[in-house]
Amino acid sequence: MKKLRKNMLRLAFVLCGLLLLLIAYGAYTVSVNGNRWYSSPKNSYARSKRQNVIPGRILDRSGTVLADSDAEGARLYPEDESLRRATVHAVGSSAFNMKSSAEYFCSAYLYGARVSFPERLSAALRGEKLQGDDVKLTIDGPLSVYAASLFPTGKKGAVTVMNYKTGEVLCMLSFPAFDPRDTSAAPAGSSTNRCTQTLTAPGSTFKIVTAAAAMKNLADWQGRTYLCTGVLQAGDREITDAGTDRTAGKLTQHGSVTMKEAFAQSCNNTFAQIALSVGDQALRRAAEDFGFNDAFLFRDLVVEDSRYPTENRTEYEIAMTGIGQSALGASPLHMCMIAGGIANGGQMMEPWMIREADSASGSRRAAFSAQAYRRALNAQQAKVLKEYMRAVVTGGTGSRAAIPGKAVCGKTGTAELDDPKNPGGTIVNAWFVGFLDETDAPYCLAVMVENAENGGGTVAAPIAKQIFSWLLNNGISP
Amino acid sequence: MAKNPSRQRNSARGMTAVSMLFFFAGFLLLALKRWEWQCFLLAAVVPALIFAGNEILPHLFPSDRLLLCLTNFLCALGVLILYRISPERGLTQALNYGVGVGGMVLSAQLVRHVRSWKLLTLLMMAGSMALLALPLLIGKEQNGAKNWIWIGGHSLQPSEIVKLALLLCMSYLLSRRKALLSILFGGACLAMLMLQKDLGTALLYYGLCLAMLFAATGSLLLVGAGLAGGAGAAVLGYKMFKHVKDRLAVWQDPWKYANDAGYQIVYSFIAIANGGLWGTGLGLGNASSTIPEAYNDFIFPVILNEFGLIFGVIVVLMYLFIVIRAVMIARRSNTLFHALLAVGCAALITLQAFVIIAGNIKLIPLTGVTLPFISYGGTSMLSSLCMIGFLQGIASRNRASVAEDRALAMQGGDAP
Repeated sequence: MKKLRKNMLRLAFVLCGLLLLLIAYGAYTVSVNGNRWYSSPKNSYARSKRQNVIPGRILDRSGTVLADSDAEGARLYPEDESLRRATVHAVGSSAFNMKSSAEYFCSAYLYGARVSFPERLSAALRGEKLQGDDVKLTIDGPLSVYAASLFPTGKKGAVTVMNYKTGEVLCMLSFPAFDPRDTSAAPAGSSTNRCTQTLTAPGSTFKIVTAAAAMKNLADWQGRTYLCTGVLQAGDREITDAGTDRTAGKLTQHGSVTMKEAFAQSCNNTFAQIALSVGDQALRRAAEDFGFNDAFLFRDLVVEDSRYPTENRTEYEIAMTGIGQSALGASPLHMCMIAGGIANGGQMMEPWMIREADSASGSRRAAFSAQAYRRALNAQQAKVLKEYMRAVVTGGTGSRAAIPGKAVCGKTGTAELDDPKNPGGTIVNAWFVGFLDETDAPYCLAVMVENAENGGGTVAAPIAKQIFSWLLNNGISP
Repeated sequence: MAKNPSRQRNSARGMTAVSMLFFFAGFLLLALKRWEWQCFLLAAVVPALIFAGNEILPHLFPSDRLLLCLTNFLCALGVLILYRISPERGLTQALNYGVGVGGMVLSAQLVRHVRSWKLLTLLMMAGSMALLALPLLIGKEQNGAKNWIWIGGHSLQPSEIVKLALLLCMSYLLSRRKALLSILFGGACLAMLMLQKDLGTALLYYGLCLAMLFAATGSLLLVGAGLAGGAGAAVLGYKMFKHVKDRLAVWQDPWKYANDAGYQIVYSFIAIANGGLWGTGLGLGNASSTIPEAYNDFIFPVILNEFGLIFGVIVVLMYLFIVIRAVMIARRSNTLFHALLAVGCAALITLQAFVIIAGNIKLIPLTGVTLPFISYGGTSMLSSLCMIGFLQGIASRNRASVAEDRALAMQGGDAP
């Protein structure tokens, strides 16, 4: 019997543990996912509650009103059309369910679900509609307007600017944009936020990850040199470099290069070799350290999960993954976070867009602050990669992003994709991801121009340069 | 409880008062909102039943009052929520509750007075097999499982009744050191359930057998083998049944299947988010209309929706207290059979509450089992309350033997 009593006690611990696990997991899942569940377009309850609420205002970081509402509860937008267009993907529009937008993700605040019982009661007694909370974003209005003015007209693409020390999203542009005052004129697909919702091959910007994989897995990565003959046989296919034209017999050859030189020149041949020598598993682990294949559960941004391909891993596909092609998929925001992680000593910060929510009477409802996302590599490795990225701008493919006297670092990318309009043909997306290595201007960005006439160094890097200059000259309000 | 009966009485009395007030207010609120006379009636009847259950029943036969208070609260909560979802079901559930209390009293008497369980066990073993075979022969399929039978217009789930038989048989066989026979019997029941594709109940039976084997033998080897066997069966189930695969896919990403297989769980999430910490208020939420199985598998999200997360935590803690109480009763009992029976009841109630609530919040894949005491259903209510009856019977035996010891000691006789 004594032994039995002991067993029973042990069993009791297990049983109680199960029930306590319910409470612990319940609390966890509600705190992480609650807002996503609430904001779901399927939530008819929340929608029906909106009828009696005047939605709160949406403000940028310095308090400029990006969205207001009239006495009936209809949305009003600012007079300045360029401001409306440049913030529409961050602010959102009641006409579309735009994930990641404040209108969508802050609906619990904006539409009064967080209003306390006494406040509800007093509104009901006075016979007034309930006033939703104001939401203040981390977005900077003037920066957004300026960055939007730089983007090539008529092109699709995305621009994201973040503070890499805090993770605050300062600017989130997606093209084509639309005017929230006239949603009927919105071009098809313009409600998609390309910063967060579009997964596409990151091209050579992914070489940051491949280089990190080499540092983590190849003992002799510093001393090793690679021979770029212009053509690399991988499995049954060939990998060549930008500028190669086999029919004209023209080859881009980098000759014997170190990894740093190859990185600065964005040599495909070398990085394909690196991918093959570290192997698929190690490359995938390195990518996962940067957040690939993770379920992104950021507090207030809905970001598509980036993917490192796990199927059809032939030698050719592995080599292509090393240069950011194959079936890799990443959003511009994620690539911006990766650049920010290098800038921040290997520590990636969680992106966030909502600074605070305040009740209509001005009392603080909630305030948010910086949170770490994950450590992608150690400080030493990050320092080396930072030097690599500096070399890209000082004497490599990203020289058009250089600003005299300022430490601009970055990586260009020219991703090749199948042309949806012309089967068999290809189009290129021009990328630039980078950051300012300046203590008083800790900003990182990602620029992506779809279907560009030229590579990332030519198309995207100059945009990055101008944004960086603006940031250095004007600064961001605290 | 033997230490300080008066303190237990006081706290039980406090709980009785609070629950009576809670349900009076709850039903009155619903009655005023809907203006239905049945609801006014319930506002009077349910508190009266709680008073009778908590305060009068213990005078009729010795029982554990705290356990009574907790179960009565949960049962009445079920009636309240079900009435809110559909008055018809609420009234039926009130009836189920009444029948269940009768079952509880009977099973308490059974445990108190039956001295030899040998013949009964044999009968129950044969009966269980026959009952479990019934749905396979004359049952009809529902939600991918074939586990119901219809008798004279009433549906019946044999596995709910067999659950009690399994509990008693396992306790008896294990108390007689017939571990092998008990494993065989448990395995046979499991196999029958697998054939019915009633995987939720199979999971419960399996967990129960494992827990009781561990309590009786303390052998980690045996439990390890059981776990390995279970894992094997799970893989087999995954390969054999399409709906297991579907369930797992839904579990991984319910939003992807939000319009069909993941519908209920997605709306369960939304219901929880709408409820927040304090709930939308009784009768003010919409979960009862958005979740189709709100009265059964998904009753807990409805509670969270209208009463809020804090109340939900309190409900889970009530199960926790029931389990703690049950294990205390088990540890105090002086025969192996009764100890195992009590601990089996504790394990079964916990597992059942865990499996369904964890399914609701996507901690584990969803399997359809009822939430003990709360979910709609006569058989489920009866079997849950019978387990409480077993516990009450054992508790009263414990108390009787303590009193006996004391009397012997006072007479100067030699107490064991």
